[in-house]
Amino acid sequence: MKWKKVCAAALCLAMAGSLAACGGSSGSAANSGSSDGALTINIWDANQQAGIQEICNDWTALGNPKVNVEVIDWDNYWTLLEAGASGGDLPDVFWMHSNYAQIYMDNDILLDLTDYIEKDGVDMSMYYEDIANMFTRSDGKIFALPKDHDTIALLYNKKLFDEAGVEYPTNDWTYEDMYTAAKAITEGTADDTYGYALNTSNDQDGWFNYIYSYGGNIINEDKTDTGIDSAESKAGMEMCRKMLTVATPQSVVAESGTDSLFVSGKVGMITQGSWMINTFYTAENSADYAWAEIPYCDRNGDGKCQKEERQSCYNGLGWAADAATNRPDECASLIEYLCSKDAQLKQAELGITMAGIPGISEEFANAFEGMDVSAFTDIETDGTLYLRPGTRNSGKWQDPMKQAGGFLDAFQNPTDEAAMSTACDNVAKMIRNAIAEDQ
Amino acid sequence: MNEKRKMTAKEKNEARWAYAFVAPTILGLIILNFYPAINTLYQSFCKTGDFGKGNIFVGPANYKTAFADPEIWQSLINTIKYAIIEVPLGVVIALVLAVFLNRKLKGTSVFRTIFFLPMVCAPAAVAMVWKWLYNQQFGLFNNLFHSNIAWISDPKIAWISVGVIGVWSIIGYNMVLFISGLQEIPGDYYEAAEIDGATGIRQFFDITVPLLSPTTFFIVQTRVIGALTIFDLMFMVMDKTNNALPKVQSAVYVFYKYSFDQGNKGYGAAIVMILVIFIMLVTAVMQRAEKKFVFYN
Repeated sequence: MKWKKVCAAALCLAMAGSLAACGGSSGSAANSGSSDGALTINIWDANQQAGIQEICNDWTALGNPKVNVEVIDWDNYWTLLEAGASGGDLPDVFWMHSNYAQIYMDNDILLDLTDYIEKDGVDMSMYYEDIANMFTRSDGKIFALPKDHDTIALLYNKKLFDEAGVEYPTNDWTYEDMYTAAKAITEGTADDTYGYALNTSNDQDGWFNYIYSYGGNIINEDKTDTGIDSAESKAGMEMCRKMLTVATPQSVVAESGTDSLFVSGKVGMITQGSWMINTFYTAENSADYAWAEIPYCDRNGDGKCQKEERQSCYNGLGWAADAATNRPDECASLIEYLCSKDAQLKQAELGITMAGIPGISEEFANAFEGMDVSAFTDIETDGTLYLRPGTRNSGKWQDPMKQAGGFLDAFQNPTDEAAMSTACDNVAKMIRNAIAEDQ
Repeated sequence: MNEKRKMTAKEKNEARWAYAFVAPTILGLIILNFYPAINTLYQSFCKTGDFGKGNIFVGPANYKTAFADPEIWQSLINTIKYAIIEVPLGVVIALVLAVFLNRKLKGTSVFRTIFFLPMVCAPAAVAMVWKWLYNQQFGLFNNLFHSNIAWISDPKIAWISVGVIGVWSIIGYNMVLFISGLQEIPGDYYEAAEIDGATGIRQFFDITVPLLSPTTFFIVQTRVIGALTIFDLMFMVMDKTNNALPKVQSAVYVFYKYSFDQGNKGYGAAIVMILVIFIMLVTAVMQRAEKKFVFYN
């Protein structure tokens, strides 16, 4: 009998203990790991995890708490962040993106950094102005500091160019030149190998740039309307459609992704952003890969590239913190450290991403020994950078425009000229509806 | 009559303990199930604000939009199509396997384990593996058959491909339930049938199938509900830019898309309420069918 009672008591204790443990762990998650004193950082790019952890360790070495960098992929990142924001369970410090910055700032989800910046004398003018503005609310309060900036370039596989006997891309290429080369590779190589690949989801690194090079726009400057159904934008998307006729079919691209197809040697060219360099630099056949500046559109027909004829989308992330964190001072200190000139220099040297501060491009280029990445930095002088288009709640239209009813129908049947024009009109409607709802 | 009688002290004590013991479950149900369900119902009549703040009551507006939206109807059709593949195939194959594995043979436990394995795999992992098996360019199926079929991107066959994954995942679970049902059928029936000269097939249809009908009904009922709430397969296997997605996405997938991708929680709640009502109707029909087709000893 006695033995049974002891057992029962032990079981009860164990249960109570596990319940308490549950309560404890969820409690600490709400305050983001305060139990072991570590700050939690959430990011969406696994490529950058090791580098950012290293920079955070430098901060810890200055006598600060430990930092855990956790990666959640892009699609789930925003779902989880939104759930966390609704339920009061955010990570301490995390990345903010232009698509969502405004809605998070408007709802006071992010920690107000204005006073810290003033107190610690952070010089906001040293950052890229557009990127800093992205994280400044209309009342002048600052909710995130610029982490980096990115540009787009053309990536090609020399082996496939050699196989088809096509000359390598140069910085003087127009989109028409790219089409001729892509066609030659598609015809001159194996059946399942193509000169070019583009998914509807390759927006910032893909078809956005056609539209802007041809003189169109997706969101106008004061963010009140879209120009995606203008004649210029449609001309850009018409060029895009022409490229798609010699590109990997949409169904294949949707299943495997353009990056995987490229590193498998099934695609001759793709356009990609500077945040992806490391993927290709560390790939098995990276010796075959090289970068060129993104092509331009010779709008005035003078055979030369004017600055506004070569357009690359650019964007920058921000480091933001949870407004409800129980350690705001430490979060602000970490953010200021991550965005300081020294840390941004290290970020460039480690080849994580290009800095959010202009003038650190050389250190970044040197990070990739044996691979010339100057195409990403030269565009800042040879071309025009436009900020990634977005509205207050970009999530409302940015997914639907890539799906059936948006551009997917046209990408699926690239031989159908009318389909692309219709898609532009449809997407224009989506964007206008979203803007109207935001008002 | 007895109900109005006052409880004795002992009974009261017992009742108190009974309440204490069910309290954790009841509390869990109220906090985790009832409260969210009622909240969802309320939200479906609201235009929800950012981050779930500032709900504005708009009456049946979300339902009106949903009923006029062909995407919602298509997703319900997609869900039913998925159930039509998963439930009958999952039940029939599992039943046949169960009958074979219920015999005293060498290695039955090995086979039972193999067939049950998909059940202990994380659904996300299962979906990831199948996604690559189906891949048009690098997938095992196309390499094996030297074909170039877009298994999960061709709207005509993608729903079948996804359904097959569902069948594969559920067979083991159904089979184990069937085996336990089979073991409750007394051996005398089969002996008698054998003496009368009934063949194995005759025995299967005239003894096994009717006597197993309670188990079959239980499996069908739970699997129909499970299939109608399918989400993870489509979510994991198909990319957002997949051309076949509109013809495959389930009702719960559409709910997820609106609630979490686009932050339109009110509309998402309305979609899920429509699905709940639909499932209730299906269940009611099945309960009626139970009286007709199910044979209880």
